[in-house]
Amino acid sequence: MTAVAQTSDRTPAERSAPGWLVVLHQELHDLWLGGRGLVLSFAFSLLVGIIAYLVATNTDLNFLEQRESTSLTLQVAIAVGGLLTLLVAADAVSGERERGTLETLLLTPASRRELASGKLLAALSLWFAAFVITVPYVWFLGHGVGIVDEALVAGLAVGTLVAVFLASLGLLVSCFAASNRVSLSLSLFVLLAFLAPTQLPAGAQQAWAGDLLLRVNPLTAGERYVSKIVVNGHNWSEDISWLLSPVIGAVVFATAAVLVGGRYIRLRGGVSG
Amino acid sequence: MTRHRALGLALVAAVVGVLLAPTATAAGTENVAVTVAPERISTKLGGKFAFISTITNKGGTDARGLIAHLNVLSLRDGTYVDPEDWSTNRTRYLDPLVPGGSTTITWRMQAVNDGDFGIYVAVLPESGAPVPPVTSPTIHLDVAERKTLNAGGIVPLVLGIPAALGLLALGVRIRRRG
Amino acid sequence: MSAAVEAQGIAKRYGSLVAVEDLTFAVESGEVLGVLGPNGAGKTTAIRVLTTILQPTHGSFTVAGIPHTRPAEIRRRVGVLPESAGYPERQTGEEYMRFHARLFGHSRASARSVAGTLLEDVGLGERARSLIASYSRGMRQRLGIARALVNDPQVVFLDEPTLGLDPAGQRQILGNVRSIASERGAAVLLCSHLLAEVEENCSRVMILNRGHVVAEGTVAEIIRQAAAPRSVQLHVASEHTERAVVALADTTGVEDVQRSDGRAGWLKVVFSPAAEAGDAQLNVAVRVLLDAGVELRSFELEGARLSDAFLAMTEIA
Repeated sequence: MTAVAQTSDRTPAERSAPGWLVVLHQELHDLWLGGRGLVLSFAFSLLVGIIAYLVATNTDLNFLEQRESTSLTLQVAIAVGGLLTLLVAADAVSGERERGTLETLLLTPASRRELASGKLLAALSLWFAAFVITVPYVWFLGHGVGIVDEALVAGLAVGTLVAVFLASLGLLVSCFAASNRVSLSLSLFVLLAFLAPTQLPAGAQQAWAGDLLLRVNPLTAGERYVSKIVVNGHNWSEDISWLLSPVIGAVVFATAAVLVGGRYIRLRGGVSG
Repeated sequence: MTRHRALGLALVAAVVGVLLAPTATAAGTENVAVTVAPERISTKLGGKFAFISTITNKGGTDARGLIAHLNVLSLRDGTYVDPEDWSTNRTRYLDPLVPGGSTTITWRMQAVNDGDFGIYVAVLPESGAPVPPVTSPTIHLDVAERKTLNAGGIVPLVLGIPAALGLLALGVRIRRRG
Repeated sequence: MSAAVEAQGIAKRYGSLVAVEDLTFAVESGEVLGVLGPNGAGKTTAIRVLTTILQPTHGSFTVAGIPHTRPAEIRRRVGVLPESAGYPERQTGEEYMRFHARLFGHSRASARSVAGTLLEDVGLGERARSLIASYSRGMRQRLGIARALVNDPQVVFLDEPTLGLDPAGQRQILGNVRSIASERGAAVLLCSHLLAEVEENCSRVMILNRGHVVAEGTVAEIIRQAAAPRSVQLHVASEHTERAVVALADTTGVEDVQRSDGRAGWLKVVFSPAAEAGDAQLNVAVRVLLDAGVELRSFELEGARLSDAFLAMTEIA
C-alpha cells in the first residue's frame, strides 16, 4: 500500500464546507441521480396530468368551475407532493439504519443535527420538483380566468409550509422508529389522519368544532387558504388566519426534527434506543 | 285675561311645543339618495371592473347607522348568479353623513358569468327598522362570452411531461449502470 | 508522549446487562493490538465506546490524546471499519469515498484526489466508477478500509475485517492492516475471532470474555499465562515406536506415553504437573529419544498455541 500524502503535523483540515451542506449534496445526488426522485416525480406527473386532463376536458366547465379546477389541481399537488416528501423523510434515518450505513455516518465529524438538517432539506426537494411539474397545468387551467399568478404564489407558499411540516414529521418518526417499515407505516397513518377532516360533511365542517379541526390541521388549513385565494378571489390578508397552523406546524416541527430528532439519531431504533 | 297675557301664554306654549317635539331620527333613509356611475358597463367573461356609488344626505340632520349593500342579478332567466362570487366585499358600514354631506364607495367586481346583468346598491339602516331601503339606479352590465379554456390543448402537457420525466429517469438509470 | 489509545476502567451497561466492565489498556502508535473474544464478549461494544458511537457508563479514555469528553474531535482522528458495515448500493466507490472525504474536511479537489489514491491502494482503482452494488464482499471490505483511512487517522479500529472472505481475500486485507501500522504509523485495534490472523498480525493481544479483560500481552505472554504446555505429540520412525515408548516411560517428569490410534509412529507424551515448563521437558524427551537411537521426525507442543490459551481463558472465565 502506498502511503497517502499526509499533512506534516497530522492535524485534520478544517471542514471546507459545513457538514449539513455535504450531507445535503450527497442526499440530493442519491435521490435524483440514484433514480428514486425521478421515478417518484414521473408517477406524480402522471397523477396530476390525469386530474388536469379530466377537469379540462369537462365541456360544461364554466368560469367558476375552472377556478375550482385550478384550485383542485393545486391542492392535489400540495397533498401528493407533501406525501412524497414525507416518504423520503421517513426513510432518512431508519432506512440508513436498516441498510447498515448509519454507523459510518455517525463516525464522521458531522454532528447528528447536521445529518438531520441535510436530510430534511434533501427531502424537501421532492416538493419543489412536484411544484415545478404542476406549474404548466396550473397555467393551462388558470390563464383563461386570470388567476395564474395568485394560484402559483399561494400554492408555492402553502405547499412549502406543508412540505416542511410533513418532512419534519417524517424525519422525527424515522429517528425514533424501531424499523423502516414502522417509520413508513406510521408516517402514512399520520398523513391520513391529517387528511381525514376533509371527509367530514359540509355541515360538520362549518360547525365550530369542525371549523376548529380544519384550522389547527396544517394540511386542511393550508388547502382552505389556497382555495379562498384561487376560487373566491380573496386577497392575501383576508384569510390570513388560515395560515397560522401551517406556519406554526412548519416552524415547530422543523425545529423539533433538527434539535430533538437529531439528538436521537442512534444505531438502534425504538424509543429506548 | 288681558291680550298681552294671552300672547305670552301662547308664546310659552309654542316654545314648550318646540322643545317637546320629537327630534329627527338618528337612523333614517328617507333623506338619503344613491347615485352610481357609470350606468352601463361592458366587459368579457372573467373581466374585472369597478363602479362608483355616491350616497348623499339630503336631510337637515345627520344620517347615522347606514349600510350600503351591493347586489347583482341576471336579467335573463336561467342564469344562476351568486353575488359572493362576483365581489368579496359587498357590505359597507358608512360613517355618519352630515346634512348635505356625501360619501363615495368604489365597488370592485369580476364577471364570473356571461350574459346581461343588473347591479344596484341599496342603503338601509343598521337598526333594521322597517323602512324601505334606498336603491341606486340599476347599472346594466353586459358580459360577453369568452372561451377561457381550450380543452384539447392540455393533451401535449399530459403526454409530454410524464414522457420527458420517464425518459430522463431511464437515461439516468442506464448511465449509472453503464 | 501519551499512548495513541488509553482506556481506564471503561464500563458499558444496559440496565442490569454488563456489556463491558473495567476495560483498561493502552495502544501505542504503530502497534497492532488484537482484540479477541467469543461472540458476545463485548468487542464491538468496546470499539463503539472508543469511537464515540456509545457513551461509557463509567470510566474514561483518550484517543489520539483527545479525552472522551470531546467526541467530535476524536472522530476526526480515527478511522473505523465497523463490523457488518453497509454500503450505499446506488453510489460508486469513488462517490462514496469523496462523500466521506468531504465530511472529514477535504475540499472537492482534495476529496477527489484522496479517493482516487486510496482506492488504488486497496486495489479498487479499476472499479472506482462501478456501483457498489456490483462489488463483491471482499471488495466492499476493501472499500471500507479505504474509507477508514480517508482522514489519515492516527488510530484505526477494524472490527472483523476479514469476515466472510476467502483465504486470498483475508490475506489481502491483513496485508493492508499491517501496512496501516507500519507505513502510516497508526495504532490499529483489530477485532477478530480468527485466532490465526491475530497471532500472525498483532504485536499484542487482549482477550475479552463476558465484558471483562481476561488476558493482555504479547502472544507468547498470553500463552504462558494461560497454560504451560503439558503434552507433546512426537512422530518417530514406525519401527522405533516400541523403543521410544520404553525410553520415555522411564524418563523423570513423564507421566504417561500413549500410542496414537490410527497414526503409526505417533506418540503422545504427557508430562507430570510437577515437571518443568513444557519447553524444558520437550528438550529432555528429545535427548532421551536421541540417546536411545530413535529417529525423531517431528513434534508438536500441545497447549502452545494462542487458540489453546484462548479456549482455556474463556472457559475458565
